[in-house]
Amino acid sequence: MEIKFTHGLVDKYAKDLMFELTEEENQNVLDEFEVIKENMDSIAGMKNISDVEPMTHPLEYEDVVLRNDEVGEELSVEEVLSNAKDKTLEEIIVPKVVE
Amino acid sequence: MKSVLLNIHDKQKELDRTFDEIQEHQKNYNSFVTLLEKVPLKEETSSLLSNVCYALKDNYSTKGILTTASSNTLRDYIPPFNSTVYEKLEAAGAICVGKTVLDEFGMGGTGTTGHTGVVRNPFDTSRIAGGSSAGSCAAVASGLVPFAIGSDTGDSVRKPAAYCGIVGYKPTYGMISRWGMLPFASSLDHVGIFTRSVLDAAIVADALKGKDEKDMTTWDSSSIHLQESVENSKDQKYKLFYIKEIVEEENYSNIKENHRQVIENFNAVLEHCQKNGILVEGVSIDKDLLAKIPSVYTCISCAEATSNMSNLTGISFGPRENGSKIDELMTNFRTKNFSPLIKRRFVIGSYVLQSENQEKYFVNAQRVRRLLVEELKKYFQEYDGLILPCSSSIASKIEDAKDMMKKSDDLAILENHMALGNFGGFPSITIPCGKVDGMPIGLNITGNVYEDEKVLSLASRVEEIIEEEV
Repeated sequence: MEIKFTHGLVDKYAKDLMFELTEEENQNVLDEFEVIKENMDSIAGMKNISDVEPMTHPLEYEDVVLRNDEVGEELSVEEVLSNAKDKTLEEIIVPKVVE
Repeated sequence: MKSVLLNIHDKQKELDRTFDEIQEHQKNYNSFVTLLEKVPLKEETSSLLSNVCYALKDNYSTKGILTTASSNTLRDYIPPFNSTVYEKLEAAGAICVGKTVLDEFGMGGTGTTGHTGVVRNPFDTSRIAGGSSAGSCAAVASGLVPFAIGSDTGDSVRKPAAYCGIVGYKPTYGMISRWGMLPFASSLDHVGIFTRSVLDAAIVADALKGKDEKDMTTWDSSSIHLQESVENSKDQKYKLFYIKEIVEEENYSNIKENHRQVIENFNAVLEHCQKNGILVEGVSIDKDLLAKIPSVYTCISCAEATSNMSNLTGISFGPRENGSKIDELMTNFRTKNFSPLIKRRFVIGSYVLQSENQEKYFVNAQRVRRLLVEELKKYFQEYDGLILPCSSSIASKIEDAKDMMKKSDDLAILENHMALGNFGGFPSITIPCGKVDGMPIGLNITGNVYEDEKVLSLASRVEEIIEEEV
């Protein structure tokens, strides 16, 4: 069953995506969504569309094999942590998770 | 346009000129997020790109050099590793002069949404350069550098190239490694190249292509020699097709003057092509199917972007925001640093991926993607390439540039058809074909996957005809 797109639902999706929207941003999503949904519904309404295999990738690879499970080029811990703002030794400091 | 790359006789002089002009260029067009320090000439390599200056879109990782994707979320991010594209250019001895502005993470078509401001068109600074690879495009179009690197997810190299009167080439998917390129939508993202001639695009692509262990979508292109193919294109016999539903005037209810001139220009080019031995025929493709292009693009690109950008949390990289709990900290980071446009795209992506919507929207969009690609492939059996105008008009005024999605109209197919190149991974190139109201316009040539040699040879031949006749 289709769910109606509302201010509340937009906020819920935003929350799931871990950001908040201002009232104006929320309204802009709703306005734009009207247009997008109409266009997307026209796709869903195409005749026999379910018979078509979804195309997830532009090329058909026939010779893809799993690489050997060997350590390749890697970054040092120092390099990996070089952009973290709050760190100690080899770890990133975050607010307490378990209370 | 003859090769710029093959005609740089004094590299020191060219290096000096580029760095003498770069500040003024930045003031006029705002192409760069980061300007790099001038370096002395390097030891000459065997590459044609040795000691040639270029600009790099700021979504390619450069070790030790700020890489922002024009987003506040990465405004202080300094990658600890290099993208393969940058590595190859370094190995060739090319000199990067700066990292260029894009629409945030490549998600836009105007060049107006980067966190360091709007990029302006070198032909008229009151107009957009187009996007998302706006800064790279302006840097080549202004004559600052002979080539620049962009990326192309829907037409982000080929559309700005048209608006700025230069060549924009997106090779077959996987011919050039995307390792270290910050992703937007992985199944549509391509490396792209800006130059002032088709031959130069071939030279740059020859230097960049190749299988890369770090990018499993790359394939062996060692038998492909683009420069050589272009240089030997003169006597080839070509057969092109255009799509009647996109080009013929009767498909438009209210045609505006600029659009009419674009079509007239296109028809004139076709006529000259025919006169010069290139066969061009119109084919008919179901207009209802073509009309789905923008929705398929929106659906797939937003869904993939939503997933790709879930790692932007402000914890392991990016500016840290305040928060007493970890999720509060992440939410504050994403709320404060993503632009409203990106947030809207993410909400759409999230909607189409919800379990109750996924089949109806996301999976069906993937199905229509296949139908569109198969339709083109059918014609690629008979023809060497598809030729179409890049847009209905010239670059818009900056104040009119909106990235809001609008109700589908007559022009939606003409404005969005180049996304077909991304759906199918097809090699696709824009070349300049004249001016309307003093502003450049371009045409696009697209061919079948792996046939980059044919597409560039063909484009070079058409480029020559346009220069002689149009």
